[in-house]
Amino acid sequence: MLEVVDPGLLLTLQDRGRPGYAHLGIPPSGAADVWGLAVANLLAGAPAGAPAAEATLGGLEIIVRETCLITLGGADLGAERDDGLALATGAAHRLPGGSRIRLTGSRLGLRAYLGLAGGIVADRVLGSAATYTPATIGGMDGRALRAGDLLTPVRRGDLAGAGLSWPSGVAPHPTTDAGPIRFVPGPDLRDLDPVVVDALAAATWRIGRASDRMGLRLEGPALPAGREIVSHALVPGAIQLPSDGQPVVVLADGPTVGGYPVLGVVPRAEMPRLGQLRPGDAVRFRAQDADRARAAWRAQQARLASAGAALAADALWLSLADLAGA
Amino acid sequence: MPDAASIRFRPRIERVGDAALILTLGDEVAPAVNDLVHRVVAELAAPAAAVAGLAAPVPAYASVLVPFDPDVLPEEAARATIVAAVSRALDGPLLPPGTLVEIPVRYGGRDGPDLAEVADRTGHSEVDVVALHAGREYRVFLVGFAPGFPYLGVLPGELELPRRATPRVRVPAGSVAIAGRQTGIYPFATPGGWHLIGRTDAILWDTRREPPALLVPGARVRFVPA
Repeated sequence: MLEVVDPGLLLTLQDRGRPGYAHLGIPPSGAADVWGLAVANLLAGAPAGAPAAEATLGGLEIIVRETCLITLGGADLGAERDDGLALATGAAHRLPGGSRIRLTGSRLGLRAYLGLAGGIVADRVLGSAATYTPATIGGMDGRALRAGDLLTPVRRGDLAGAGLSWPSGVAPHPTTDAGPIRFVPGPDLRDLDPVVVDALAAATWRIGRASDRMGLRLEGPALPAGREIVSHALVPGAIQLPSDGQPVVVLADGPTVGGYPVLGVVPRAEMPRLGQLRPGDAVRFRAQDADRARAAWRAQQARLASAGAALAADALWLSLADLAGA
Repeated sequence: MPDAASIRFRPRIERVGDAALILTLGDEVAPAVNDLVHRVVAELAAPAAAVAGLAAPVPAYASVLVPFDPDVLPEEAARATIVAAVSRALDGPLLPPGTLVEIPVRYGGRDGPDLAEVADRTGHSEVDVVALHAGREYRVFLVGFAPGFPYLGVLPGELELPRRATPRVRVPAGSVAIAGRQTGIYPFATPGGWHLIGRTDAILWDTRREPPALLVPGARVRFVPA
């Protein structure tokens, strides 16, 4: 069990999300980087989409109240123990009661995922533990975590996975190509100047400071704005083009409906990369065919499945070695 | 307002990323188009028509977003399912009228801080604005923006105003507001750019309720001065 001493910039409980309620105005929410979430969970012997704690940038400080297993996925936010020992991302660590952990800050990426054995105990609303603060649902009373909050592992006292690390045969990142973020053009190209697709791909964009779990604001050359459209439903990844010509990309907590034309949509396999972009980061985009995007998603899911199988086998070996030693 | 006979449906289906399609039935805010939207949603959601790989459709004014899992349902099959639902919806009977929900409203004063300005800018007395707003039945065209926020129409043309130039940072929960030819109710305290003319104690969103939203797409609404 862990106690939050300082939540840092933003600490929430998130899982794979709450799809299927957009018709009631509820966005899917869930981890901004579901790959990082899966890494933390698979190392913790939990289903890939189980609840974990999503930490943002640095400043998080936690005290271990009861010896437990802690796993780290997502961005390397410089996790270290109070005795200075660095805690690697992509690994499971056994932490004795009384020790303290803090996130010292990031060089690359924005969000780290902290997993506990079997997942973290959380409120489930509409089938998901994902925290959506605007409607105060999910996670812990529907709010961001704060000092004094306790994080409880689903399998309390289970330390069996200590020492596990991400299988060396499986790439640790969601995509094998770190190039431009891919997007599938459309659906509102008839309401836009057709040059916008190439213009989006030609420019280097900076992530605006007002970006959060709802959306990323892109700053760069003004694209030719389209006309306002009759509002239609949005999905995470939708690249909206408001009248000022500066695109806004919808993220997990973003609006379910919008009246700006959507020039493209970032596909599922690329969403984890979006969730790791920090204000000030430079980013480029490249158009992608929907079939290629689907192939990338299948490859990503296959890698998670093989990592999960390899970790389960490693955990079994560890527990056998434990038994033999006892 | 165009009626059903004068509407020309030009359905089109487009890709939304790699795991959704959007069906667009028209480019206007009109009850006849929205009727068809909800009939298509009903067809897609009907248990008899259940198709593996299709997720809950998301209606808006004149469109339906259909998320699907391309690993279970190929895109061509998803498109065919949508086309079949449109054709059944066009041939099928009209939907029964949605449930009528009455919303008690305290108009004006502290509960509706923009009522005087709305009256002033539209050239009506405050009493007339209330009578116009409460004088007709609205339909829930869609739910969005915030959990349980209903987009209601069609507001009488006499009350049509653009959104406020500067949105409020915080609109109190339960505020009844107007903008353009729409009216809505804020379920939570959120930022908002509509004109606040009253407030209700009705609970628009309650996760212990099924469904949690008091007003669902297709429902009918009447405002009752409290």
